[in-house]
Amino acid sequence: MTAIEVNGLRKSHQGFEAVRGVSFEVAEGEIFALLGRNGAGKTTTIEVLAGFQRAGGGSVRVLGHDPYAERAAVRPRTGIMLQEAGFFPELTVAQTVDAWRGFTDAPRPRDEALELAGLTGRSGTRVRQLSGGEKRRLDLALALLGRPDVLFLDEPTTGMDPQARAATWTVIRDLAATGTTILLTTHYLEEAQRLASSMAIMDEGRIVASGGMAETLAARGGRVAFRLPAHVRTDELPLPVTVADGLAVCRAPDPDLAAQTLLTWAAERGLRLEGLEVRAATLEDLFLELAPDARSAEGARPAENARSTEDAR
Amino acid sequence: MSLAATYRLGTRLFWRDKAMLFGSVVTPVGLAVGMPVLMRHVTQDGVANATAIFHSTIAILLAITAFMNIVVALTSRRDQLVLKRLRSTRLTDGQILAGQIAGTATQTVGLILLCAVTVRFAADVPFPPDPLGFAAVVVAGSAVLSLLGAAYTAAVPRAELAAAYTMPVFLLAGVSAGAMGPIPLPSWLRPVLDLLPTTAVVDAVRTGDLLVPFLVLAGWAVAGLAAVRLWFRWEPRRS
Ligand SMILES: Nc1ncnc2c1ncn2[C@@H]1O[C@H](COP(=O)(O)OP(=O)(O)OP(=O)(O)O)[C@@H](O)[C@H]1O
Ligand SMILES: [Mg+2]
Repeated sequence: MTAIEVNGLRKSHQGFEAVRGVSFEVAEGEIFALLGRNGAGKTTTIEVLAGFQRAGGGSVRVLGHDPYAERAAVRPRTGIMLQEAGFFPELTVAQTVDAWRGFTDAPRPRDEALELAGLTGRSGTRVRQLSGGEKRRLDLALALLGRPDVLFLDEPTTGMDPQARAATWTVIRDLAATGTTILLTTHYLEEAQRLASSMAIMDEGRIVASGGMAETLAARGGRVAFRLPAHVRTDELPLPVTVADGLAVCRAPDPDLAAQTLLTWAAERGLRLEGLEVRAATLEDLFLELAPDARSAEGARPAENARSTEDAR
Repeated sequence: MSLAATYRLGTRLFWRDKAMLFGSVVTPVGLAVGMPVLMRHVTQDGVANATAIFHSTIAILLAITAFMNIVVALTSRRDQLVLKRLRSTRLTDGQILAGQIAGTATQTVGLILLCAVTVRFAADVPFPPDPLGFAAVVVAGSAVLSLLGAAYTAAVPRAELAAAYTMPVFLLAGVSAGAMGPIPLPSWLRPVLDLLPTTAVVDAVRTGDLLVPFLVLAGWAVAGLAAVRLWFRWEPRRS
């Protein structure tokens, strides 16, 4: 069944069109990653889906309802981690969770929520004394209180340390395994690649790539990289490569096969392919290729790279 | 049940905010008790004067403890994106606001009753002859002023400006109820000021006549509800 349906969604903020015709679907129990650079329109999309803002055009359905017009029907079944939201700084972690339990039907026990978010040891701490990552964990605890069917996570792990992030991944996976539908945004592409089974990449309010994570990446093939042996010209190699700083990179639909071909070729000539590295395409490869700023900088040397992105600001 | 939860939370936060307590409890209670006590002991017609000034200071309690207090609380929660977070729960907009309004109104009613008892013993101000009528108008007045404060937040651009923006309302309420002493006013202004909700409450307490004050309060309640529906902002302005 489809839990989230977005069809031709548009949304403007004071004349600026932040979302310009976005469509995607998320199946029940699926983890879907919405990706894109800063200002791409991810948060705007999530806020429309979570019923904070009315869709400017097109339609959205969450669990079969219009999340804005039928907020009362949708809200009890959704959990939201907003990109930005405040707490009552005077309350402790435990008091905050207790207050929120009062706003929730059949809430999780407080200790269970704190445990899920890895905050058990901090329950007596005032919110104003929490670190940034701890506040993010409290955000997660509150979002999970109502055992939601649909979970919106807008940059859930921003500010978390590596352990907390890994723990959060486990929580997210476990929830999906028990049927929770999860729509998340993140700037950590590794996180998206590990968690999500589907994704969409947004740019300037439009979707520029989307599909199943595994299929999309498989379709992009992979690459083989190695140090180009001395006195070898690229046209002698059995496969086309690009060379930068002495590093030859061969892009291929099947990188394992390409590596075998290259190694066989080298062995016949008694050459070594030093620093050989074979890998499948990553989400980061795809992302960088799609993001215009990054594309112009690709292949440039690090120093130039840094300067050119600075100029672009 | 969720309304009760927001009510409890609002009340708890009210008593926890020490800085705010000074402005919204200590100062108005000091005025509402101090001025009658002063009148009782320094003027000839002590008891009558003390009673008159106590009735006037009810307008100040309403303007500060109900109105200003809820304006400050709601604008700061709006600007800190706490209201937005509250809206991410199952609570409806109505429950969030009603809980806050009920909480603020309760504090105000409690303080006015506390002051009435204190001045009875400290300044011989007699208890109101119609306790039920008094209680009813105090409850209605506190609720209406809290509701109007919630509506007024739409006019306050940023939380830091909340106190400054409520100052004119406070002065108007105080002057028209006579709490600032005898200020000469043009004759046409009097009937207008009598239409203020704070003045309506003071008039009802002073005269024991409830009908007109209740009609005035009902009018303000309708206006307040309409304004909240039309203009209440849940998130800070971004332009
Ligand atoms: N309330 C608003 N008023 C005016 N402009 C807004 C508002 N909200 C968003 N925008 C604009 O809309 C665009 C999309 O913003 P959005 O927050 O959806 O981006 P995002 O993809 O979530 O970015 P990030 O990765 O930085 O969180 C931005 O250019 C932003 O400036
Ligand atoms: Mg965002």
